Amino acid sequence: MPGQKLYPRATVKKIVKAHSNCSVSKNADVMIFLDYMLFMQDLVKEASIEAKKGGERGITARSVKKVTADSLAKFKG
Amino acid sequence: MARESRPLDATPRAASADPVSNFRRSLLLQTPGSQRRPQGLSASGRKNAPPTATPHARAAFRTIDSRRAAIFTPHRARRKSVREARDSPRDLLLGLGRVLAKKTEPIVTSSSSPGDTPNHNPSDDDDSHETTLGPLHMSYDDDDEADIPKRPRLSLPIDRDDDSGSDDLVPHRSMLLDNEDNFTMQSVEMPRRAYSEGPGGRLSLNSTRMSDFFNANDMLHSEDFGRESGMFPPINVVEEEGTFTMADIMSPERIEDGRRETGHESDFGIHVPVDLDDQTSFVINPDVQSSPVRQPPDFDEPDFAPLEDARSDSYDGGDGMDNHNFDDFGDLPDAEMDDEEPDNTLNETTRMTAGNVTETEVLTHAQRAELRAAAAARKKRINISKHGIQYPSLPAGVVKRLAQNFAKTSGAKGRITPDAMNAIMQASEWFFEQLGEDLEAYSKHAGRNTINESDVITLMRRYVFSFVLIVQSMQRQINPQTTPFALASRHLPRELLQDLRMPPPVLSKKRRKASEGAVPAGEEDESVT
Repeated sequence: MPGQKLYPRATVKKIVKAHSNCSVSKNADVMIFLDYMLFMQDLVKEASIEAKKGGERGITARSVKKVTADSLAKFKG
Repeated sequence: MARESRPLDATPRAASADPVSNFRRSLLLQTPGSQRRPQGLSASGRKNAPPTATPHARAAFRTIDSRRAAIFTPHRARRKSVREARDSPRDLLLGLGRVLAKKTEPIVTSSSSPGDTPNHNPSDDDDSHETTLGPLHMSYDDDDEADIPKRPRLSLPIDRDDDSGSDDLVPHRSMLLDNEDNFTMQSVEMPRRAYSEGPGGRLSLNSTRMSDFFNANDMLHSEDFGRESGMFPPINVVEEEGTFTMADIMSPERIEDGRRETGHESDFGIHVPVDLDDQTSFVINPDVQSSPVRQPPDFDEPDFAPLEDARSDSYDGGDGMDNHNFDDFGDLPDAEMDDEEPDNTLNETTRMTAGNVTETEVLTHAQRAELRAAAAARKKRINISKHGIQYPSLPAGVVKRLAQNFAKTSGAKGRITPDAMNAIMQASEWFFEQLGEDLEAYSKHAGRNTINESDVITLMRRYVFSFVLIVQSMQRQINPQTTPFALASRHLPRELLQDLRMPPPVLSKKRRKASEGAVPAGEEDESVT
């Protein structure tokens, strides 16, 4: 994505800060977002598999919802 | 019949079996079981049986007596004495058996010989006369009324159905169950998580997260916390042709996001790619997507869907009103259908929202502008974390772009329906919640109040270790071969990579082999920051 930030760093920081009640060090959000990307990758992959299984044409809410729990559990620390 | 005979029993004690029953009852009152046994035996069974009964009947008496003896053995007394100590339902069941035993019918066993005993009491009634076991009936019934703990029924009632009294049984049984419910309910265990992953195990899991709930019910629950992160509409599966046709067009257009909306680019800036994506993707039939999604806020929370509202409104701004009106009309049936499918209880709300949509048609442009402003305000919805801190939500455009990229790589065509987007947004909301708590735990554990890269790396390593398969299938995340840095360089743009100062891979390898838990976090602290 030329000319576009991958993600709003401040926003990610704020989100994590709010959830953790900790301050986030200067560049930790990069890793956090990397983690998030991995999560998304997993989620989308699982969802598309699920969608194919269910005979859907694209990723649908149903497939996403179905795999959300698993993906979250995978990425639980 | 048997009960009526009881008063009469007292007088003709010597000859009949009935006095026996009375006698035995008094014994029951007086003594614990052991003394009772020989007398009961002699009194009820043998006195009567030997002179009269056939050998078969005698055998029956013997078995009955032995059973009775078994019932009144000291075992039972012992159990009684300990009874208070036990809380298990087993005791209750024993008690139940005892009480029900009272109600059971006297034994008219099939084994009893048909031959009559000549010395029956005249007071005995019809059916008891028939069997040699007649006296036994009498005694049981007497016990019944005396409210003494009775022997349980020993066999199935065959002859006498009339006096067994189903009406007697029913109320008592229910009463028993009612009483026992409390105790049994207390002793029932609810399902739990394994201890290792349970809340007690680690600090990070001390609280129940919203991310632990994925159900619609739970999401509704989360309203109580004022958290809108959990507020995505539980069931809002919209799979329409409209979305699909649009989705078909989406992919080429997405590529040219910037080009198509050149006029808007300055507005969207870098931080708000939401509108970019959506505008391009909704060109043909924009409101088919936006309006069904707009409903969830109405029945969940008014503030809810910032995303979709923003979309539709920005769309309005971009294009004329004609399309909008047209599409709104087209939408109404769709919207209702969509919501009625999942649950009928929401019909009212859907109608209301449908009404809203029709209202919006009539609105003037100025009013639309107002609405747009309101939606924009709504877009900055207030999420409140469990620590009571407000936080923004991740812009949907970022999430969508990510999801589409990954969808393409994972084989799907990169089409993601808006409701799927909702679900993904919800998932990422949960993800960040979970992540935040985990990171908090790690950093607190390291004695810091700041979340470091090392914490994140520890976190990633943890789950990656636990899911080796995924590591393999997902182009290897963090493991001895691939470092976080390799992973990052695969996924992150260069400018972000520059910010990441990673330990050299060789070092990290050693470290990883040496340990796995929180230790490397401490080590990496030094090297990373």
